[in-house]
Amino acid sequence: MRFNNPPVNTLSLEFLTELVISLEKLENDKSFRGLIITSDRPGVFSAGLDLREMCGRSPAHYAEYWKAVQELWLRLYQSSLVLVAAINGACPAGGCLMALTSDHRILADNPKYSIGLNETLLGIVAPFWFKDTLVNTIGHRAAERALQLGLLFPPAQALQVGIVDQVVPEERVQSVALSAIAQWMAIPDHARQLTKAMMRKATASRLITHRDEDVQNFVSFISRDSIQKSLQLYLERLKQKKG
Amino acid sequence: PDASAGVAVMRFNNPPVNTLSLEFLTELVISLEKLENDKSFRGLIITSDRPGVFSAGLDLREMCGRSPAHYAEYWKAVQELWLRLYQSSLVLVAAINGACPAGGCLMALTSDHRILADNPKYSIGLNETLLGIVAPFWFKDTLVNTIGHRAAERALQLGLLFPPAQALQVGIVDQVVPEERVQSVALSAIAQWMAIPDHARQLTKAMMRKATASRLITHRDEDVQNFVSFISRDSIQKSLQLYLERLKQKKG
Repeated sequence: MRFNNPPVNTLSLEFLTELVISLEKLENDKSFRGLIITSDRPGVFSAGLDLREMCGRSPAHYAEYWKAVQELWLRLYQSSLVLVAAINGACPAGGCLMALTSDHRILADNPKYSIGLNETLLGIVAPFWFKDTLVNTIGHRAAERALQLGLLFPPAQALQVGIVDQVVPEERVQSVALSAIAQWMAIPDHARQLTKAMMRKATASRLITHRDEDVQNFVSFISRDSIQKSLQLYLERLKQKKG
Repeated sequence: PDASAGVAVMRFNNPPVNTLSLEFLTELVISLEKLENDKSFRGLIITSDRPGVFSAGLDLREMCGRSPAHYAEYWKAVQELWLRLYQSSLVLVAAINGACPAGGCLMALTSDHRILADNPKYSIGLNETLLGIVAPFWFKDTLVNTIGHRAAERALQLGLLFPPAQALQVGIVDQVVPEERVQSVALSAIAQWMAIPDHARQLTKAMMRKATASRLITHRDEDVQNFVSFISRDSIQKSLQLYLERLKQKKG
């Protein structure tokens, strides 16, 4: 699956919906047991959540958007497919979240390609299920530090902290992803799927059992004047950088 | 900009070794409360004014040869200190400039960031088992959150006190620096944390720590009763008295 939502694979409501539909098709197609997620946009894996969906909109829209974000995470995190992330570009926030749902993460060795959950830098807070996914990957202490400081790890540090599993030369990312996925797909599929579900069930349940509450919390939080101001300021700065 | 703006420094000074007596615990909690309520402070560095020791930990004389009511009062105060430190909205940095066993280690573990002076005499860890007692579950939870389950299982059972190199390797501290640089490194570190939008940082910290804090909060009275029963046991009292005797002999 090569993400192609120009310019930077931002997770707009439309793109989220496309991704979920594609995932569902793959899950139902017995001829596919593995999925490599990667980017078709130069220099970026995914820039993450679309701030324009979270800024200056109605509460009903925020709710619809957040449900779609939850849906993508649940589908990726609980996928019965082997999921490998071939991270060939910058990977902040929502992009990092997608990578973290994978069974295996390969990052291209390019100092411009950092990965992490940097929400605090934008004045917002990563939801608890983003936090859970990160803790499951790098441990509690490292996650506590990474989340509060909004750290974006360049390749060497990303490997050291364990947020990715491999760092390889940029031109080899896709071929290494194919080798890696073959290793996972060599395992008896039934046993592998049940084991994956067992590992991830508790974490997924924490969102599933509080899904509506989580949407309401998001809507309340994102609607706050102070948060809207933070986001608008950030969007302004982004525009100035481009122009 | 003044690197120390908005940063308070608390220098433990309870001679001789910053033992956490009931009186000292109460002072610490009061000081913490004042800082939390004072909007001009967003960060706190905890460190020691006593040479060679950060804090020797819980005061065994509060736990030995006293009444059950006293044990209960003491334990509530220990719980209160941990809850206040662990859930502090301030950025908390521990500048560990001395030996840091048991209760001292617990205070360091509540911090957002731990810096240990590179002195082989300054070891850090939860060594309760060496005294014949057991670290409470919330000491254990804080340790597991910091160094992981397996390392905590080993460290707690063996009562390990990690000297600086091993402390860094196992992850019980985040940095080891030359002794004379501990305070300045603490100031640099705290500046990095305080550069983050405070609202977002506080909510994130609370989200990370809520479950662990709740486990004590929802069982607080039960935990006090368990402590009182445990510490009142003849065998435990004997253990502690023996340990106190040995300490007296070492001094004398």
